[in-house]
Amino acid sequence: MRTAEGRGRTLDEAVDAALIELGETRRNVDVKVLRETPDETVVEVVVIDPEAATATAGTPANGKAETVRSLLEGLLKHMGVRATVQVRAGSDPITLDVSGRDLGALIGWRGETLRALQSVTNVMVGKHLDEGERVIVDVERYRQRREHTVREIALRAARQVKMTGDAITLDAMQAFERRAIHLALEGDPDVTSSSIGEEPERRVVVGPRKPAE
Amino acid sequence: MPSAAERIRRAIAVVNAAADGAGDEEITPTEIAEAIRDCLELPEIGSIPNVRKYLGEALDATSDGMPADFVAMTLYAALGALQEGHSLN
Repeated sequence: MRTAEGRGRTLDEAVDAALIELGETRRNVDVKVLRETPDETVVEVVVIDPEAATATAGTPANGKAETVRSLLEGLLKHMGVRATVQVRAGSDPITLDVSGRDLGALIGWRGETLRALQSVTNVMVGKHLDEGERVIVDVERYRQRREHTVREIALRAARQVKMTGDAITLDAMQAFERRAIHLALEGDPDVTSSSIGEEPERRVVVGPRKPAE
Repeated sequence: MPSAAERIRRAIAVVNAAADGAGDEEITPTEIAEAIRDCLELPEIGSIPNVRKYLGEALDATSDGMPADFVAMTLYAALGALQEGHSLN
């Protein structure tokens, strides 16, 4: 498995540095954030080997993953969508990567269609899963890219809060995006994140952490 | 006043948030049920086939403790029926 560590001032810079070292594009890699501080981001970029991913999914130990993969592939076929579905290697919960050409319609406005596809998939595969277990569906790594983007936004907001001392209210986001922000900022001793408003207009507020907290 | 589509989208967002768990709010079945009842209150939905039926099913599924994804899927069906109804009118 080919991996590289990337460092940069921003997440994009860190990922780009690792991609240059690997000679790969974003489409073919998994990105894991190792450390995020206001000044530096460190990532580990792993090249996805499609053959290895398929082989992993096909082994008896991953029978469940293969079952849900084939169910989603069947659903897409019935929808008239030409796409391939792969189980993301090492993912927990099971993450299904859908890839193909012109899949923008499958993502929809701000990922709404993708979110609906995930709900339908979970209902379909529910009986093959343990209680409380869920499947994540990603199309052309939209969800992964979006998580990276909102983390970038969070870190930028945190830098601004530290400079000005004023809280910043971010745009309305989906729950998984808000979670990515809370996780990105939870280790920061100077800022805190919370959410206000009601769905679907719920927004994260990044503010200075009070000494008493 | 929000349209029926806006209310159904809001109910879907509440259910999805419950399923995804952002960790910044605790969404109870009561809140989900309230969001669905808000949709059922609108007279607009009575004139379009199946919308009330799907919303009723979503409400029942919530009361029965069905998984959030199932409730969401039923609400998507209601939204689809609403949009189909509007396009026919």
